[in-house]
Amino acid sequence: METTDMKITIGHLYPDLLNLYGDRGNIACMMQRCIWRGIAADTIEFNTGDEIDFSKLDIVLLGGGSDREQAIVCRNLLEIQEQFKEYVENNGVVIAVCGGYQLLGKYYKTDAGMIEGLSLVDIYTEQEEGRLIDNIVLKSDLVDMPVVGFENHGGRTYLNGNQPFGKVLYGSGNDGKSGYEGVVYKNVIGTYLHGPLLPKNPQVCDYLIQKALERKYGPVQLGPLDDRQENAANEYIYRRFVKE
Amino acid sequence: MRLRRMLAIWAAKITEKVSVHIFHRQGVTWAGKIALKICPSILKELAGQVKNDIFIVCGTNGKTTTNNMLCAAIEAEGYKVICNHTGSNMLNGVVAAFALGAGLGGNLKADYACIEIDEASTRRVFPHFKPDYMVLTNLFRDQLDRYGEIDITMNILKEVMQSAPAMKVIVNGDDALSAYLAMDSGNPYVTYGISEKVLDDKDSHEIREGRFCKCCGAPLHYNFYHYSQLGDYACTGCDFKRPEILFDGSEIEVGDQLAFTVEGRRIRANYKGFYNIYNILAAYTAVRSGGIPVEHFNDMLAKFNPENGRMEQFCIKDTKIVLNLAKNPAGFNQNISAVMQDETLKDIIIVINDNAQDGTDVSWLWDVDFDRFKEANVGSITVSGIRCHDMGLRMKYVDIPSMLEADVEKAICERVENGCGNLYVLVNYTALFSTRNVLKRLEENR
Repeated sequence: METTDMKITIGHLYPDLLNLYGDRGNIACMMQRCIWRGIAADTIEFNTGDEIDFSKLDIVLLGGGSDREQAIVCRNLLEIQEQFKEYVENNGVVIAVCGGYQLLGKYYKTDAGMIEGLSLVDIYTEQEEGRLIDNIVLKSDLVDMPVVGFENHGGRTYLNGNQPFGKVLYGSGNDGKSGYEGVVYKNVIGTYLHGPLLPKNPQVCDYLIQKALERKYGPVQLGPLDDRQENAANEYIYRRFVKE
Repeated sequence: MRLRRMLAIWAAKITEKVSVHIFHRQGVTWAGKIALKICPSILKELAGQVKNDIFIVCGTNGKTTTNNMLCAAIEAEGYKVICNHTGSNMLNGVVAAFALGAGLGGNLKADYACIEIDEASTRRVFPHFKPDYMVLTNLFRDQLDRYGEIDITMNILKEVMQSAPAMKVIVNGDDALSAYLAMDSGNPYVTYGISEKVLDDKDSHEIREGRFCKCCGAPLHYNFYHYSQLGDYACTGCDFKRPEILFDGSEIEVGDQLAFTVEGRRIRANYKGFYNIYNILAAYTAVRSGGIPVEHFNDMLAKFNPENGRMEQFCIKDTKIVLNLAKNPAGFNQNISAVMQDETLKDIIIVINDNAQDGTDVSWLWDVDFDRFKEANVGSITVSGIRCHDMGLRMKYVDIPSMLEADVEKAICERVENGCGNLYVLVNYTALFSTRNVLKRLEENR
C-alpha cells in the first residue's frame, strides 16, 4: 500500500484545559509531516465532557496544564479510563507531555492533595521542593539524533522499573536524580519535554507516525523530508548545552 | 538618617551617570541596588515624601505604556511626578526611580508617583510602601519558566492586595482573571472596559486563559471576545460575571488611529493597536479615580511618544521601520493585528532571544497565530536573535518560508538594502534594547 493512500487521525485531548507550552506545535508537526508525505491527516479536539471513540484514533496527544487544571481534567479522564487503557494495550500510539505525562501514571501527589491518574503505565509522581526548569537534552534509544527540549515541572516521576524515554545529557529529567527522562511503554511515550517536543525532534515525530501507520496498515517505509531546518535547530541546542 | 539617605542618593546618581550610557537599563538597576545597600530604608522614606498619591501599574501586558501615559497625563495637569520611565520594574528599578528623582539634599519634591512593578516583584516592594492605587491591566501567560503558571502570579497579587487593604484596584473588567482578583481581594476597586462588541473574534484559535471560573471551576460563557480572553463573560455555574463597568469605552475606532468615547469625552490617539485603547482607558480611569483633572488628556496623547520600542518609528535610507515589542502570545497576536492594519506590502523581521529576562523557554512561540501573516501582504520574513532557529521552524510549520540571520544588525541592513521600503521589526524583551540601539545608530549614520 502506498503511503499516499493512508490516513492518520490524531486525537488532541482536552485542549481547553491542557494547552500550556506550545502543545499546538506538536499537533502542527505531526499533521505537516504526514501531509508533506502525502499521508492524509486530521486532528479531532476533544474538550472536557466530549465523548471519545478511541477506535477512530491513531495518535493521542495529552498535553500540559497547570496543577489546578490537571485536577479538573482528572475527573473527566477517569470516565474514559477503561477505553483509554484498552487503546494503549492494543498498541495505540500516545504522546503525553508534562502534565499529560504525569496523568499517565497512578497518581500525582501535590501539596494541595492527591490527583488520581489514568493508571495506563505503572509510574507515579510526587511534588517535591523546587521546580526543575531548564533546557534539556537526552539520548534516546528510539532515535539517532539527540532529543532536545525544555522542562518545567514541580513533580518528580518514578518509573517503577519501566523503560525511560532517554538518558539525560543536560538537565534534570524525571526526578533530578536517576539521570533518566520520560517513559516508554508499548507505543506510549510520556515526557516532560516541551518546547514543543516534536518540531525540533523530527525523528521522534516520525517514530510516532510510523508506529501509528504500522498498527493500522502493517510495515511501512516513511519517505525522507528536507529536515535541514529541524536538524539545525536541534544541533544548536545540543551544541550549546552539551558539547560546549 | 537623612545623611545616610543623601549619601545613597548621591551614589545612585553617580552610578547612573557613569553607567547608563554604556549599560542602559542595567545602569538604572545598579543605581537602585547601591542606594538600597547604603540606606535600606530609602524607599520607605522617599515614598513617604510623595505629597499626594502613589499609583502602581501591574499586569502582563501594557505596563510600561500605561504607566508612562498615566505619568504624562498627571504632568499635563501641572503636577510633578516620580516615574520609572525605562520600565525597570523590579525592586532595584523602583528604588532607582525615587532615588534619582530626589534632590541632592536627600528630599523628594513630588506630588505623585507612577510606578510599574513586575507582578512577582510586588512582594518585595510592598514591605517598603503601600500604594494608594494599583492599576491591573490584564493577566496572560508569560514566561512560564520564570513565573510558573498564571495561578502562581494570581496568588502573589492577591497576597499583596490584601497586605494593603486600603489600596484601590483599578481593574480591566473585561479580563475575567483580573476582575476575579479585584473582587476576591476585598480591596475597593474601580472597573474599566469596553462593553460594545468591536471585532468578531469568536472563531479565532487564539489561546485563551481562564476559560473556567475561578470561583467554582465551571466553564465561563462569553457573549463576545475582544481578543485573547478579554470580553463579556458570565459563569455557567455560579454568580460570577463581568462586573459593571464604571469607565466604559464606546464608539470604538480601531484603524490607522484610535478613538473612543468615555464619560462623554471623545479620546483620540495617533497610534495603532486595539490593545492601546485599553492602555489609554486604564490611564484615564486612574487619573479620574485619583481625583485629578483630565482637561489636557487629549493634548497629552497628541504629544505622547513612548520612544521605547512600542510602535516606535525609524527611517533609514528611505525604508520606513516600525519597532515593536512582543514578548508573549497575547502581545504577539495583538502585534500581528496591528501589522495587518497596514495593508501595503511589508517586510518583517522577528527577533527572539532567550535570556533570563525574556524567559529561557521559547515554547510560547507556538501559541502565537503566525499563520495570519499569510494574509498580511508580507513580502519577506527574516528570523533573527539567539533563538532564530526556533522561530524559523515555527514559520516552516505554518508553511511560511523565512530567511535566517542570527545577527540583528545584518538582518536589518540586508532588508534596508533589498527590501520593499516598509519594514516591521518585532522583538522580544532583551532583543528590544539591542535592536533599538542598532536602529538608532543606523538612523543617525545614514
